Amino acid sequence: MIYYFGTIFVLVLIAPILLSYIKATKMLLLFKRPISLLQGYRNFSKLLQKETIISEESSAVTRWAPFLVLSPLLVILFFLPPVTQGAYYVSFVDAFTITGLISLSTFFLMLLGLDSASAFGGMGSSRESFIAALVEPAMVLTIFSVSLMAGNLGIGQAGVNLAEHFPKEHMASFLFAGISFFILLIAENGRIPVDNPETHLELTMVHEAMILDLTGVYLAIIESAASIKFVIFASLFASLFIPFGYGLIAPLAIGVFILKLFLIATLVAILEVNTAKLRLFKIPNLLGLSIVFAFLSLITFYVLGA
Amino acid sequence: MIDFLIGLFLASLIVALFTTRLYRLLLWYSLNSFTLGLLALGIGRSIDDNAMIITGIITIVIKAIAIPYVLKNLSQKFHFVRQITPEIKVQYAIMLVPAILVFTFYLSEPIVHMIHTNANYVAVSISSLFLSLLLMMEHKNVAPKIIGFLSMENALFLLGITATDGMPMLVELGIFFDLLMAIVVINLLFHKEELRV
Repeated sequence: MIYYFGTIFVLVLIAPILLSYIKATKMLLLFKRPISLLQGYRNFSKLLQKETIISEESSAVTRWAPFLVLSPLLVILFFLPPVTQGAYYVSFVDAFTITGLISLSTFFLMLLGLDSASAFGGMGSSRESFIAALVEPAMVLTIFSVSLMAGNLGIGQAGVNLAEHFPKEHMASFLFAGISFFILLIAENGRIPVDNPETHLELTMVHEAMILDLTGVYLAIIESAASIKFVIFASLFASLFIPFGYGLIAPLAIGVFILKLFLIATLVAILEVNTAKLRLFKIPNLLGLSIVFAFLSLITFYVLGA
Repeated sequence: MIDFLIGLFLASLIVALFTTRLYRLLLWYSLNSFTLGLLALGIGRSIDDNAMIITGIITIVIKAIAIPYVLKNLSQKFHFVRQITPEIKVQYAIMLVPAILVFTFYLSEPIVHMIHTNANYVAVSISSLFLSLLLMMEHKNVAPKIIGFLSMENALFLLGITATDGMPMLVELGIFFDLLMAIVVINLLFHKEELRV
């Protein structure tokens, strides 16, 4: 029980550090002086001290939507696969529940963008719904095919099965599912080929456009929701596609898991430095590639058994 | 491990189908050939065939390093169009690629029963043959067509090393000479193209 809650606590704590780490790595690769890893916490405490101003045009949605953006993501944290042996986990939650909860959070984020009654927020919401609609089928297909390889539909149980009996004979379809999921990780978290999280330019904005009118505590909540979303995707990737280090003794296993999270963050940072942002209407091509790989993983599993 | 490499082989070919930049395409071709070379090394070591190991090394040196380098130099010399948009729209390619894969996986079903070792790889290599045909079909420019031709050769090579328990060394060397001849012919073609312009 202590490992179950301990892991969730560690994941919540590490979430802002991971995003700051991505930023720091990118700055290092661009020969700039990197920011501190604690920058996420600093931003959070700064935002908590600031005054919260709500636009006169906005309705009650702006007051409760930030909490509803954060809470489904916090619920998902309880359903993630276990990190160490002997930890508790929820075995019956499948791909549809995880995808549904993520899209519930995205839905409230889109409402928040629409509610501020500015043209900018509405534009951001429409773009976000465009991307989210394309991500969902690929995500369900990918997690579904991984669950098939693991022999269980539940995400938690699938993670355990993969860690205990790694499917060496299904390595090809495993790789395809991994590529597909990595594209989804980038698309859902608004990293560079899909969306640039750092600018406030009109053309590149998806996530930033929706939260442009928020201030103070609400902005702090939304930013922490974004970091927790990244940690959810990264830990799903780490426990489903890099299932090593599960059998070690508990503190060591958690350490290895955190190392894997940082490895994924490094991969994302390297990709961000090396690619340009795609035009909005080219994004379906990227996500189509992810759907092709997800489908390919299923058919290689079924037809070839490889 | 060999399953992983064969997955990477197919994955790099599929990504190459969707790229719109020439240098990125060369990179994917290079990765494709590199995995092919590693596959030859792996299979050669498992069946203890020295000829196949030598072929693998030659593959990595020629196909993964030399040919992309030469093609990049050529493209800089003759000022190729570097933006290569596929003629087949991405929406259709998304439907076409899985259709081709499913079709070829079932197509190779009767052959798979005949081959006892590495039976899946035959299906993958036939499907990558079709995919590189698609790569040749979907571009109008000459450079991606060359890449399509070369990856078709890669697919045939994969079929050769997986379906048989090691081809004769002489045949493989012959294939390499063919490839070099093809590059020379391509070079001549470019010169002719330049004269016409």
